[in-house]
Parts: sequence; C-alpha cells; structure tokens
Amino acid sequence: MSKITDKGVVAKVAGSRRGFLKNIFVSAAAAGALVPMSLEAGDDPDIVKEPEWGKKLGFPVDKTPYGYPSPYEHNVVRRVTELLSSGDMYASVAMCPIHEIQDGIIVPNGLFFDRSHGGVATIDPNKYRLMIHGLVEKPIVLTLEQLKRYPSESRIHFIECPANGSAEWRGPQFNSIQFTKGMMSSAEWTGVKLSVILEDLGLKPEAKWMLAEGSDNSHMARTIPVEKALDDAMLVWGQNGEALRPEQGYPVRLLVPGWEGNLNVKWLRRLEFGDKPWHAKEETSKYTMLQPSGKAIQYFWPMEVNSIITSPCPEKPWTDLKKGDMVEIQGLAWSGMGTITHVDISLDGGDTWVEANLKGLVLPKSWTRFSYIIKWEGKDMVIASRATDDAGVTQPTINQEVGKVGVEGVYHRNAICSWEVKSNGEVNNVHIRS
Amino acid sequence: MFISEAKTITKIALALSVVTVSAMAGEKLKHNVDNAVIYPVKNKHYGPYAVNPQSTKGFKRGRTPTANEIKAWDVAVRPDGKGLPEGKGTAAEGEELFTKDCAMCHGDFGMGGKGYPTLSGGQGTLKNQLVHPENGDEPPVRTIGSYWPYATTIFWYIKTAMPFPHPMSLTNDQVYSLTAYLLSVNEVQLNGEDIDDDTVIDRKALLQIHMPNEKGFYPNVENGTAEVAKFIQNPANYGSVTKRCMKGCKDGKIVHIKYELKDFIPPMSTVRDLPKEKGTKTVSKAQKLYEAKCNACHGNPAIGAPVVGNKEAWADRIKKGNDTLYKNAIKGFNAMPPKGGSMDLSDTTVKEIVDYMVEASK
Repeated sequence: MSKITDKGVVAKVAGSRRGFLKNIFVSAAAAGALVPMSLEAGDDPDIVKEPEWGKKLGFPVDKTPYGYPSPYEHNVVRRVTELLSSGDMYASVAMCPIHEIQDGIIVPNGLFFDRSHGGVATIDPNKYRLMIHGLVEKPIVLTLEQLKRYPSESRIHFIECPANGSAEWRGPQFNSIQFTKGMMSSAEWTGVKLSVILEDLGLKPEAKWMLAEGSDNSHMARTIPVEKALDDAMLVWGQNGEALRPEQGYPVRLLVPGWEGNLNVKWLRRLEFGDKPWHAKEETSKYTMLQPSGKAIQYFWPMEVNSIITSPCPEKPWTDLKKGDMVEIQGLAWSGMGTITHVDISLDGGDTWVEANLKGLVLPKSWTRFSYIIKWEGKDMVIASRATDDAGVTQPTINQEVGKVGVEGVYHRNAICSWEVKSNGEVNNVHIRS
Repeated sequence: MFISEAKTITKIALALSVVTVSAMAGEKLKHNVDNAVIYPVKNKHYGPYAVNPQSTKGFKRGRTPTANEIKAWDVAVRPDGKGLPEGKGTAAEGEELFTKDCAMCHGDFGMGGKGYPTLSGGQGTLKNQLVHPENGDEPPVRTIGSYWPYATTIFWYIKTAMPFPHPMSLTNDQVYSLTAYLLSVNEVQLNGEDIDDDTVIDRKALLQIHMPNEKGFYPNVENGTAEVAKFIQNPANYGSVTKRCMKGCKDGKIVHIKYELKDFIPPMSTVRDLPKEKGTKTVSKAQKLYEAKCNACHGNPAIGAPVVGNKEAWADRIKKGNDTLYKNAIKGFNAMPPKGGSMDLSDTTVKEIVDYMVEASK
C-alpha cells in the first residue's frame, strides 16, 4: 500500500490494519506541525492557502431538513418598491431577480414574482374545496385529494403580469432589469388539464364563458372563454416538483398558459360556466388598456411576443471585461401566442439586426433562451433583442407600439428593450424612440 | 352518458368560433381565439412533450354540491343581474359607512389622496396622454364615474373585497348603501334623475343604471368571442408587427433616464458576501394580529393614522396613557372605526395589540 506523505514522499506502509492506523496517526501529527506553504509572487492565496472550510467539518446533513441557498446568495431576492404598490405591501408586487436566473428557463420557487391583491392567503389543504358548477351537466365539489387523483401532466410555462414594464411607457425610469421586466417568472407546473375534468362533467352547449374565482381576501375573479378552458388550461397544484408556494396560490391555482398573469387565479375555489362574461372589477376597472381615442381595449388575454437581454444588464454589467475579450450576450424570449421561432440582435441601437441562436429547451408559451457571442471592443454601444413567434408576430419598436396604443394603456407593453453598454462596461436602461 | 358528454364537448370544440388557419414553414397551424397556436396531440406528443394517449374518460371524482353550498359561494354579480341579491340602501346611509370604514383609504367623497385608488372625479380625462409632464400634461383619471362600465361591478367588488382589511363583513343593504353613495358622488344618474341622499337603490334600480362610460370598451363580447378573436388576430390593432426589419431599421434616438427611480426594498446589490447579523426576533400573537388587521392603515404614512414605529407620532399619544388608547381603539377615534373595523377581535385582544403598537413605537 502506497501513500503520499506530507513531504511528498511516497512511502510503503505495512499492509496490516494495525500498520495502516498507526501510519495515519503519524501523518496527522506531522500535518499539525507543518509550516504553511509560503506565498510566492503571482500565487493566488485562495489556492495556495488551504481554505477554512477545508480544515473543519461542514454542517451536518440534518441541519436543514428543508434546504436554503448559501448565505452568500442573500442578495438574490425578490424586491419591492413603494412606487408600484397601493401604499401597502398587501395589494402589491414583489419582482423576480431575473438577472440572477443565469441560464435555463426555471425560476426557483422562492424567487417567483408575487402579485397579490389582498395579501398572501394561508389555506388549510384539508379544508380546501373546489366547486365547478353553472352550465355543466353535473356540477361537482372536489377535495384536494380527489382533484389530485385525476391523471396529471407537467408543463413549463412562464407567468407574466400584463403590467410588466408599465413604468416605462413614457420613458426609461428604472436602471434595473429586475424592475423593468421582473413581473414574470417561469416554472414547471403539475396538475390536471381542465378538459379532462370537463369531459366528465359535460359542458352544456350554451356554456361560452368560465368564471374563475379565488378564495383569498380579494376574492379575485376573471372570465375566461371556453375555447381556452378546453385547449390547454390546467388546474395546478405542483410547482417545480413541490406543492405550489402560498404566493402562487397554494394549494391550487388556475393555469392559463401564456395569458395575463392575473387570469391564472390563485387560491382557486370556484369555476362557474355561463353564457355571458361577468365583467369583474379586474376586467373593467383594471386590466383594460385605455387608448388615445379615450376608449379601452377589454378582454385582451395573451401576453404578446417579447424578449429581454439578461446578460449584460444594468445589474450584471461588463465592467470586468477587457477590450478584445470574447463574451456571450444572452437573454430570454417568450410569447403567450406560441413558440419562439427567431430572436434577432442589434448592436447599433436597432438600425441593423442579425439572427441570434436559440439554446436549451424551445417550448410553447415558455421562456426561451437566446445567445449571441461577440468580441467586446470596449466602445459605447446600444444592444437590443427582438423576438418573433410561430403565430407570426414580431416585437414592435417603441415608436410603432406607442404610435398605435399611446402611453396610458398600462398593460401589454412588449416593445423592443435596449441597453446602452458604456466603454467601461457599465450598462444603462435606454429607450430608442422619437 | 359518456357518449353524450363526449358529444357535447365535441360540439363545443367544433363551435370554436374563430379558428383560422395560417401557413408557416409549410405546416398549417390552427389559431385559437387569442391568436395563439393550437398544437394538436399527435404521435403521443403535444408539441415537444410526450403524453399518455389513453382515454381519460370516467375519472369522475367528488360529489354534487348542495343548493345551499352553491348559494354560499356564488357571489359573482353580472351586469344582467345574475347573482345580484335583493336588498336596498341610500347614499345617506352609504356616506355614514364610507366615512367610518372607507374614507381613511379612499379620501373624502372617494377623491383619493391616501395612496389607495381614487373613486370619483376624472370625467372628461380619458383621452389625456401624459407624454410631456414637464409641459403640464395630465394623465387620465380612471374612477368609477369616469371609467367603470357597469354599476353591478361596484356592488360585487365591495361585497367580496372591501373593506380591505376585513372583506365579506358587510350586509347586502350596507353594500347597496355604499354603492348608492359612490354613484351619487360620481353624479351618475338613475333614469335621468340625480341620485339624492334619500334615493333608494335596490336590485331593480341598480340594474336600470347606465354608467357614463358603458360604451367605452371594445371589442364587444356580449355575443361571444368572435369580435375579440378578430381583433387579436390582427397585431396592428395593438401595435405589434409581422415583419422582421433587418437593415436600415433605425427608429428614434437614444433616450436616457431623466428621473431615476431606485427606492428598492431591499436595496439593489449583486454582491456575494455574508449577511449582516440580525437579532433573532420572536413574533408575538399581538404583532401577527396587528399585521393582519391594523397595518394596512397604521403602516401607511399616506393614511394619516399614526404609523407604528414612528416615535414622534406616538410620543403624545403614549402620554395620554394606555387606558385612553385602549378606549379609543375599542370605541373608535376620528377616522378610525371601532376596533379598526375588526369587530371579531375581543376587547382583551385589542388591548394586547395596542400594547404591541405602543412598544414598537417607543
């Protein structure tokens, strides 16, 4: 049996168990007496000096029955601002740090953005009931366990609040990707397709609309056409492999893939089918888009094709780069109308565009990563991304969008986003507009 | 049974009013009412996802709800009166309730200024575009009177979501009274007549009201989804485009941030370091109740109630002594309703919450 000793000498030790143990004790004693290696010029002390964590036990495996991120990651959190709330943090929104979701299309559950209208309800799953009634042949009440007995499916979809980016209609205001685009996140959702349950209940022919209502303080309700309910809507109880988080509607929320976040009713307790829409507060007073004509667009459900460069961005600049370094520009594209087919990149403020590459999973109504590698020349430039989906829709310029819908619609802003990269690598939120 | 239900479903699927077909990359894609692509399940796949193609019919779970259970939960109110209960109230009764339970957030007469939504005024502002605030441009003001298309929505929303800290606590008559008050301060008319202090608003009257902005919304949805589908399927209607410009696409100049907003909580940082040590705090029952019942007002400087933690605001109040504070909290004081509107709290519990608020503000 051979072994490397502290002095780097390979020694032959006796093959017996006793000899082996004795040898270990000897080398342990020698290690204690060892003088640390001296740092030579050009050495990285983080390499040459054995780190603290290599010289002691770590924490035991039973310390955190439910694990936490490293304490060094404490700045990777949702953030709020009073400017985007009603003066309190109950009817408010906590933004996802999308600059820290470095790759892939899944947001950890603790970072998923949270828009709530009356605080986050805490529901006892044993007392949870879901009622489906109205224009159905056979109305039902389900317990959570009964619901979960339906055959399940899992799908990766983003959820985006239609007010994402709404502070930017008149001009850039936040020098931050978290606050310009953080009202969205993405997860793998587990649940049952609504069409499976409706197949058993039988929709009456005059059923044209479905009211979905939550059981929280706001009792939020929205009207959804049966065309969506029967296509890909789901009742979901799982989020990235665990139960829905309370902020996402534990124990059950409605998932209407690609549609306004608000329609994905949380803490869902009731689905009612009817022949006419209900005109709830959140589809009249809010979630309608006032146009320059003074009239407002109502019942506009899908989140249009959109994209944002996540690296670089104001929070993750290129200040560490040297002129001539190779670097990847990457970001997220998504569409509620289908699958991303193209993402184009501009390095000159939107004058010329080249097609970037998609990477990773390319799924319907899902975040999709794009990538484009350049050599950093260390000169000021304005970079932008522009996505297209298989419904045939492309992101507009700011002038194109504002020219049509004005600046007071609040919702559904999907114009091209631009970052100014300064020669020192700093990144600023800028608009290209008249 | 299964067959007839399956037939019903098929009928509806076929009735999808507006499935158009477009050709992309040689493949025909079906579009739903939202212009979204409908991906068929074929070869045991839904798009890139593998799926189990076996029949899912007959899973039947759960039970039939009782009539009373449906009545308990079916609180939604449609403009055609479906779900609108009997009851009545007047603006005068509503004003009393509003002053006690609502004005601290929505301002006197619902005119706002307290950080929460403004409920009245704004008529004639909907065409405003706040493009140049420096030139004195004014934004549109969307209130019940200037914007909401249906009076039934006011009733439904108040009944199920207000007052904010303790919803589902008002009787139908109280909700009718508040609805009457909000209609009257917005100068909405009933059959061409002003709604006076003593005009009775009941189910029949509410259904006769036409809101000033009733015709302010499109596309029309009263006859199904056809008009919505037609609207959404034309991206030009909402400012999106269908062509990818690749060269000579410059559309404007670089505009920088003028007034940067950066009051983020917690402050923005991407540094990887160890968090500063925080003392371990135990949360008392009183604090939890405070946060659930009182913080919506006492945590918001815009409301005018003394903000918990603000020593200056509390110093004089604390001098009055706990007995006075207990009495005010239980019986109500100025804009604050008795027990802050949370009548489910016992006097003892309210006193414990007051103790917490005092301790946290010393």
